[in-house]
Amino acid sequence: MELFTPEFGLVFWMFVAFGCLYCVLAKYAWPFIIKSMEERANLIDNGVAYAQEAKSHLDNAKAEADKVLAEARGQQAEILREAAKLRNQIIETARGEAAEEAQKVAQAAQLSIEQARKESEKQLREQVSEIALQVAEKVIRQRIATDDAQRELVDRYLTEVENNN
Amino acid sequence: MALLIVGFMAFGYMSAARHGHGDGKINPKEIIYEHLGDAYGWELPFNHSVRIPLPIIAWGTDGLHCFSSSRITGGETYDGFKLSTSEEHHGKLVQVAADGSETRPWDFSITKNVAAIFVAAMLVIAMVMSLRNWYRRNGMKAPRGAKGLLELIVDYVYTDTIRPIMGKEAPKYAPYLLTVFFFILTMNLLGLIVIFPGGANLTGNLAVTMVLAVISFLVINLTGTREYWKEIFWPDVPMALKCPVPMMPLIEVLGMFTKPIALMIRLFANMMGGHMVVLVLMLLIFIFTSLFGVLVGGATTVFSLAFALFMLALDTLVSFIQAYVFTILSTIFISMSHVEEHHG
Repeated sequence: MELFTPEFGLVFWMFVAFGCLYCVLAKYAWPFIIKSMEERANLIDNGVAYAQEAKSHLDNAKAEADKVLAEARGQQAEILREAAKLRNQIIETARGEAAEEAQKVAQAAQLSIEQARKESEKQLREQVSEIALQVAEKVIRQRIATDDAQRELVDRYLTEVENNN
Repeated sequence: MALLIVGFMAFGYMSAARHGHGDGKINPKEIIYEHLGDAYGWELPFNHSVRIPLPIIAWGTDGLHCFSSSRITGGETYDGFKLSTSEEHHGKLVQVAADGSETRPWDFSITKNVAAIFVAAMLVIAMVMSLRNWYRRNGMKAPRGAKGLLELIVDYVYTDTIRPIMGKEAPKYAPYLLTVFFFILTMNLLGLIVIFPGGANLTGNLAVTMVLAVISFLVINLTGTREYWKEIFWPDVPMALKCPVPMMPLIEVLGMFTKPIALMIRLFANMMGGHMVVLVLMLLIFIFTSLFGVLVGGATTVFSLAFALFMLALDTLVSFIQAYVFTILSTIFISMSHVEEHHG
């Protein structure tokens, strides 16, 4: 019944074997393995945490980018509106200026017309007076018999002059 | 696979039948103990007589003797030593005195079990060192394949068992506990392999489990805190229970020894029981054949094989469970001996 009565030699060698096994593994293997496993576990945990953070950052960045984009769009629309307004304004101003210029030109034209008219009136008067003088000269030269006939003549000539005018 | 095993068994059956012609009778008890017990040589597969010789080292009455076991396994006497055939020292190495009386020398022989222990230890070192070398070479990369499985087990035992129980003391005791676990697991599994280099019933031998239990006992009690010893010799119980008759201290001291003894018996009984059931199932074939003839024996073969296969599969599971149980209980006992001062 050796199974139940421990054999001295077996006990001795078992102690030796276990002692050697423990010394070798405890010195060279287990601490290193445990350290490596824990380091890797930590690395993985940190990696996951980092990835999650990065993802949330990315999501935020996307939202931020969208916001910036929307803002930019708004600004663009604003600028376009502004530009359109400015253009209208410029056109408006240009139109006003043109109208003013045209008025000025018209005034100048009127002025010159007025001047020309005055000039021509003056010339007419000179001519009328010359013609009157010529008529008077003719009347005097023909020696008009009667005073009536003379007056009549003068009158006729005057009428003629007036009609010619 | 099953057919292959049946084929093997038929072969074994025939050779056993030839073998059995000598005395014609089967002695189940002898066969079982021969298979479960130790030997001075290591049997080779498919052959009952050729054994690997192992060194015999004995300290007799006249000093140290070393010689190969092949010199005496045939029943010869060499240098005053022989394998006893007497009732008292059956099959053991004895020194024969001049008057023919037999005495047991201090037997340091490398027997089959001792050799198997060294094989198991070498295997454990090879496995664990391969894992360590992987980490050394590859740093943070996760091991694949067999090393991955090894790491999974280490992780299961350490991270999921030792660390939650031991807390911040885990790194200090983990080397011991992990060594125990892998040593027991390897010995258990080697015991299930029926041919060399397995086949030695190590953890089903009380000497082996006793050593493991004694070491656990030493670790538990030598690292115990003051509070632990106080709870043993002066526990928090009514005065009548500890003085003048130290009843509770007596029970506590008894508890100190029952814990490792339970460890020892549990592992031993589980593993030996598993081996024994398989052996008995196999022997049933031969017993029934000799009792009821070849036909019944043949029918028994099928049933015995099926049950033996199932038992071996179960024993594989038990190998792992018992190694784990031994480790987790050692862990708990060690952490229990590290109690801090508490109130209430």
